[in-house]
Amino acid sequence: MSASASAVPPHPAGKGQIPAQAGIGLRFRHHREVLDSRPAVAWFEVHTENYMGGGAPLGCLDAVRGDYPVSLHGTGLSLGSAQGLDDAHLERVARVVERVQPGLVSEHLSWSTVDGHYLADLLPLPMTEEALEVVCANVARVQDRLKRAILVENPSSCLRYRHSTLPEWTFLAETARRTGCGVLCDVNNIYVSACNHDWDASGYLAGLAPQSVGEIHLAGHSVRTLEGGRELRIDDHGSRVAPAVWALYAEALALFGPVPTLIEWDTDVPALVVLMEQAGHAAGLMNEHGNEHGHAGRDALAA
Amino acid sequence: MPVATPSLLELQRAVARELISPGESPAAEFVHTDGIAACDRLNVYRNTYVSTLVSALRIAYPVVHRLVGAAFFEGAAQLFGQAHPPRCAYLNAYGALLGDFLSAFEPAASLPYLPDVARLEWAVNCALHAPDMPGLDAARLPALAVADPARLRLVPHPSVTLLHCRVPADAIWRAVVNEDDAALAAVNPDSGPAWLLVERAASDVQVLRLPEPAWRFAAQLCAGAALQHALEEGCVGADAWLADHLAAGRFVDFVA
Repeated sequence: MSASASAVPPHPAGKGQIPAQAGIGLRFRHHREVLDSRPAVAWFEVHTENYMGGGAPLGCLDAVRGDYPVSLHGTGLSLGSAQGLDDAHLERVARVVERVQPGLVSEHLSWSTVDGHYLADLLPLPMTEEALEVVCANVARVQDRLKRAILVENPSSCLRYRHSTLPEWTFLAETARRTGCGVLCDVNNIYVSACNHDWDASGYLAGLAPQSVGEIHLAGHSVRTLEGGRELRIDDHGSRVAPAVWALYAEALALFGPVPTLIEWDTDVPALVVLMEQAGHAAGLMNEHGNEHGHAGRDALAA
Repeated sequence: MPVATPSLLELQRAVARELISPGESPAAEFVHTDGIAACDRLNVYRNTYVSTLVSALRIAYPVVHRLVGAAFFEGAAQLFGQAHPPRCAYLNAYGALLGDFLSAFEPAASLPYLPDVARLEWAVNCALHAPDMPGLDAARLPALAVADPARLRLVPHPSVTLLHCRVPADAIWRAVVNEDDAALAAVNPDSGPAWLLVERAASDVQVLRLPEPAWRFAAQLCAGAALQHALEEGCVGADAWLADHLAAGRFVDFVA
């Protein structure tokens, strides 16, 4: 069984397309500064759930969208829910997508809703054929409603389930193959999960189809030491990108070619100039490592 | 010990129980330990869940947070989260019942005004996030004027809430928002009820105090009562009140 990739209608490239350059996650504390100073940032990404109402936030986003390509990154669709998607939430997402006309739309390979309870986190899925079928059906439903392909992001996790049978990279690659969605490759998440589960991070990158990768995320993480001295890495988006993650990013660029790359920072958000400096570092690596490949297939994922 | 393989739905229900009421579910049995106890791994997610809820409530209820302090707020918010887990992924809509929860929350009994302040903050939060919608088009006013008052019903702007408080919650709210300790100290919590209209005008949220009859008239209309019914409930001056509401864009549509 497979949901055919050709079921997703193509959509035209044009103004607002996310360039293969380094962008920044736009948070509320920087709205005013961005609108006043129009900084030299290639593109911005925002959390879809922050713009589901009206008033000032949506007005700001409209203004930003007038000058920059914008990507919408959702956290609430719960693509892994066994009971299917929350129709009301999918409609909220669709309204924001229609309003913003984003260059990319993305969500997570995770779940957060069961029996009508929203658990306010990106919870890990068991890597089973049953879960894969659930995710593919839900992704197909989102793409049908939005009339465009989405990107699905690999999670970071600090637990695995005993009954998992598939490697996470295989699960993600298979989701892309069956639904025609793209992959949002979060390099920090790969690093965090690889450390937590003793995976080979390079092998994870190699397990993805290069032409499916439509975006890369970079962020900082923290290390939590538990009783007994064991460490868990936590993807808290609260610091600069770690050196080991920059190194893994360079590997990703060599494999995937230049890909729209986002600096995310959600905890203790620093001055915009710090985010621009991190984006500048990503841009430098993209110039250095990202030019060996061209990937025409990726264009089909952008608006 | 052999562990049964859960279906995806069984697993998700077990993890949900573990997050909302820890220690009562079999979720830990489904998790690889690898040198770290399953419950410690699950706790990372539970901590994120709880802190995200507390943070969402703190954003919606900054005045309550200031009035009770961070530690009290966090404790109350966690208990509220257990009693009322969120029902949707749009967290700006989470926390509507905090005022009711606080009215039955024994540790807050010494602050009898707190539930009304919380209800006012919720109305302010709703006004902040309400969808954008233009007021009734002036071109439709002639049709409104000749409509049968027995059948005419108005549709309120989604940012409008009519709120009756037993205490001067607006005065307390305003003093805290303005960080005006003198004004806060000057509020007499026993000075009687407040009849409030909360709305988003242009981009700012406004909290207006109405005379009780004007409030009852507006509340009737916003609840979907026919104009004639609202007029019977109201009194002289209702025409002017209605004109004010229409001019302020508080109604977006009507059916007659």
